[in-house]
Amino acid sequence: MTAAGRLRRRTLLRAAAAATAAGAGGCAPGRRSVQVAVVWSGSEMARFREVIAGFPAPVQAIGVGNDIDAFLAARQLAGTSPDVAILSRPGLIVEYAQRGWLSEVTPAASYAAPAGMADLLTVDGRHYGVWIKAAHKSLLWHPPSMLAEPPRTWDALVALTRRLGARHRAEAGPAPLAIGAADGWVLTDWFENVLADVAGPDLYEALARGEADWQDEPVRHALDRLAELWSVDGAFPGGGRRALLTQFEESVIQVVHHRDAVMVFEADFVDAIDARFRRGTEQLAPFRFPGAREADQPLIVGGDAAVVFAGSTRGVELVRWLSDATAFLPWLEAGGYLSPNLEVPVDHYRDPLRRRLATELLAADTVQYDLSDRLPGTFTGTDGVGIWRIMQDFFMDVTDGVAATAAIRRATGQLADAARAAGSRR
Amino acid sequence: MNRGPLLGELAVLDDVGPPRRGRAYPAAGVSWALLTPAVLLLGGLLAWPVLRTLQASVTTDGRWVGAEHYRAALAAPGTAGVVGRTVLWALVVPSVVTVLGYLLAVASRRSQEGRLVRLILVVPTALPLVVTGVTFRLLYDPDPQRGLATLLLARITGRPPDQVPQLLGPELVTVALMSAFVWAWVGLAMLVFRAALDTVPTGLVDAVRAFGGSRRDVLWDAQWRPLLLRTVAVVFALVAVGTSRTFDLILVMTPGSVRDEAAVLALRVWQTSAATTTGEGAALGVIWLVAVTAGILVAALFVRQAWPPPRQSAAPAPAAPPPRRWLRLLAAGAAVAWLLPLGVLVATSLQDPVRAATESWWSGPPSLDSYRAVLTGAELWRSLGFTLVLAALVTAAVLGVALLAAYPLAWLTGPAAQATGLVLMVAVVVPVQVIAGPVNEVLGVALSSGTARGLALVHVALGVPFAVLVLRNAFADLPADQVRAARVGGRHWWGTLRRLVRHNRTAVLAVAVLEFVQVWNDLAVGLLFSSPDGAPLGLFLSEQTRGFVAGSGTLAAGCVLASVLPVLVFVLARRHVVAGLVAGGVR
Repeated sequence: MTAAGRLRRRTLLRAAAAATAAGAGGCAPGRRSVQVAVVWSGSEMARFREVIAGFPAPVQAIGVGNDIDAFLAARQLAGTSPDVAILSRPGLIVEYAQRGWLSEVTPAASYAAPAGMADLLTVDGRHYGVWIKAAHKSLLWHPPSMLAEPPRTWDALVALTRRLGARHRAEAGPAPLAIGAADGWVLTDWFENVLADVAGPDLYEALARGEADWQDEPVRHALDRLAELWSVDGAFPGGGRRALLTQFEESVIQVVHHRDAVMVFEADFVDAIDARFRRGTEQLAPFRFPGAREADQPLIVGGDAAVVFAGSTRGVELVRWLSDATAFLPWLEAGGYLSPNLEVPVDHYRDPLRRRLATELLAADTVQYDLSDRLPGTFTGTDGVGIWRIMQDFFMDVTDGVAATAAIRRATGQLADAARAAGSRR
Repeated sequence: MNRGPLLGELAVLDDVGPPRRGRAYPAAGVSWALLTPAVLLLGGLLAWPVLRTLQASVTTDGRWVGAEHYRAALAAPGTAGVVGRTVLWALVVPSVVTVLGYLLAVASRRSQEGRLVRLILVVPTALPLVVTGVTFRLLYDPDPQRGLATLLLARITGRPPDQVPQLLGPELVTVALMSAFVWAWVGLAMLVFRAALDTVPTGLVDAVRAFGGSRRDVLWDAQWRPLLLRTVAVVFALVAVGTSRTFDLILVMTPGSVRDEAAVLALRVWQTSAATTTGEGAALGVIWLVAVTAGILVAALFVRQAWPPPRQSAAPAPAAPPPRRWLRLLAAGAAVAWLLPLGVLVATSLQDPVRAATESWWSGPPSLDSYRAVLTGAELWRSLGFTLVLAALVTAAVLGVALLAAYPLAWLTGPAAQATGLVLMVAVVVPVQVIAGPVNEVLGVALSSGTARGLALVHVALGVPFAVLVLRNAFADLPADQVRAARVGGRHWWGTLRRLVRHNRTAVLAVAVLEFVQVWNDLAVGLLFSSPDGAPLGLFLSEQTRGFVAGSGTLAAGCVLASVLPVLVFVLARRHVVAGLVAGGVR
């Protein structure tokens, strides 16, 4: 079927669906609220509802669980797509745009996304989405009382880990690092930070686009660095085997509640888990993921972007409204929200942590977007699949005494195979 | 999908037996009208998707590619392991469940404590597999502060906790999953064996004894040869088919890093295609479908030769001696072992959310904070309400469609009856993961994809084959005078049908209870066809396992609340359920 044919059929079906809904609901089709599909739930969803309450027309936010891709594909098939969807995988947005599922959007005047994020939502010079939420993914966290002087270079981090690891092996202190290796995305975030530092923006970008070879020297170098750190004896509480059964939240609990480890790596949302499980009043303090030199600090970001499904004019209006610098003010004031919009004044942030991170976003010339979220098809990873699985195999190898060179050869081979299978151009 | 309906294979397998007498037949035109809803549902949401899957497995964008997808799927890393594990599941687990089920059925018969033992063993049968998974993940937690099994292992082996073999680790995860599955299914096997043992004619046992037969002779001549051989085959077959439902357990129990080490075909097909149609996923699905179909057909044919159904019903022998001492001890031990995981779940739910994530469940004072947290949030209530409405509507729809279809089918005789029986049996065991993509395509055409209506339609289509089988058998087995009375009394076909239903209340009740519990306990269907209109309970609970330890208190509380209704319904109606299902052969 041609794109036009598909569109016509979908329009017809949607009209029919709207008529049915209107018949059942007893109101005119034009008054239907704008539907937004999101993956958020719980408190994030509540905050988002506060935000959209400010839109002049009624907006209905629907939480669709974690598999939003399957949901949107099914809705598209049925011709009942929501007006707007909020997605965190730019790769998926490009895919949808190329299939003709999306409408072009025009952001508000007061919208400016960081370089490195903005162009991810562009296909053939057309904008298909706006960023509405960001996550800062280059942070290591520690209780200040357990670690006075955070390491500022990668070598210092390795040296600290070796020292604390030796002490931990002698049962004289906590392990240096907690890591939720049961969740593959934690390991890919580690890898991305090191890769961004070692490989530089060009290769990072080329890998994300499927234009570079995963067996290239910089990839091997990045894995070698990870192996150097992860293979330190006594690096993790309970060892590598135990770490592979530890989920992300539990790894934070190991630091903030049990004090079994000194540092934990992850994005800015660690502070919410800290607030829930900390013992006493001491808060975790973050420091930047260290690079090779003190001046090199990789900045990996994640985020959520809003897209509009083809033919929804009110969706376009809503997305333009959401991209305005003042739209997310309620969430900004409640805390726990980092805006990707550089036009949002830093002093609008209430919590000091987000204010600091927003400043870092502003100061960066360019940011690197989460690599695994940009990979195509199943390569992007989920439990037991794709790059998540490959990094977990690698973690298992290096913590289990397999020589780094052998582990790296295996991992890069798997990465190259997965990239090929996912239809990358290489 | 849930294990419940397979209980009916007892009645179901009779279809391949001696041809049935035709009795309550309506006119041909009416027959077709009555069959239409069932045919449309099964044709659109089962038969067509199966054919579409077959087609997708040999084509790419409509172009013939031969065995390319099969080669690719089989060559993918880990496929050999996945197939091997699937076969292992289908052989080991049914053997264990069959042996344990038989021993416990014997052990709990005719003893005072037997009733209690049976009750304890039946409870896990009614639990959603999601809850079973959560329960065993709590029990097997690698942290000795939380995981009782890890703590005991450390004590027994005398090793420090981080040297103890990890039950959820890559080496043992399949064993851990199997233990949870056995825990959930033994009660069902026991119920079936018990029903079978109760139908052994006492005269036969007495006769063997009178001729000086030992206990072994009684077992061999009076139980095994006339009856048990068949029951064993039935239980083995239904548990083997049921192992395809390990899907739910794997999703809930395995941390992401060991999911590959635990994967079976159900999971691999889902990981490859989810709710879309892909060539490789379809190829794996076809392989799996062929294996399951072959298995059920072989079991059916084997059973037919092994056993002519007994015609007389026999009361349990009051004079027979109670089981031997070691058997009774076994029963008591089993009761304790089966209670323990339930205790862990309840104890965890009685910790406040932060304590449940950080301390041992056995160390803190009980608190209702976790319950308060889930009950004051809107999400659990929404999910409970949605699931209740969904399960009730689906049950009503399945009963309606199946009653209409069972009525005309009951008059079929000879090869036609056997053929319908076989087709329906195969329809019962089609794994939903295999046909999810094409089903979504059909739902897309019917404007129901990604809506609660679509979800309900899929549930109805999956439930109808089983319901038709059971009701058809029940109708066909009614004594002639009751049918005659119904036909004389009711002038129209609906009058006759109404009277027939009245005579078959037990079978109708059995179907209703099993369908309700199945929809309530479902995870796979909800996962594949969920909508923003509401998350079914299984999906709601399984999504929370993403932060398993951090959320264990509220998750356990949610699990307990989600289990109350199915356990209550199933335990209260268990006698009717078993009676309704075996009615075909006994009445």
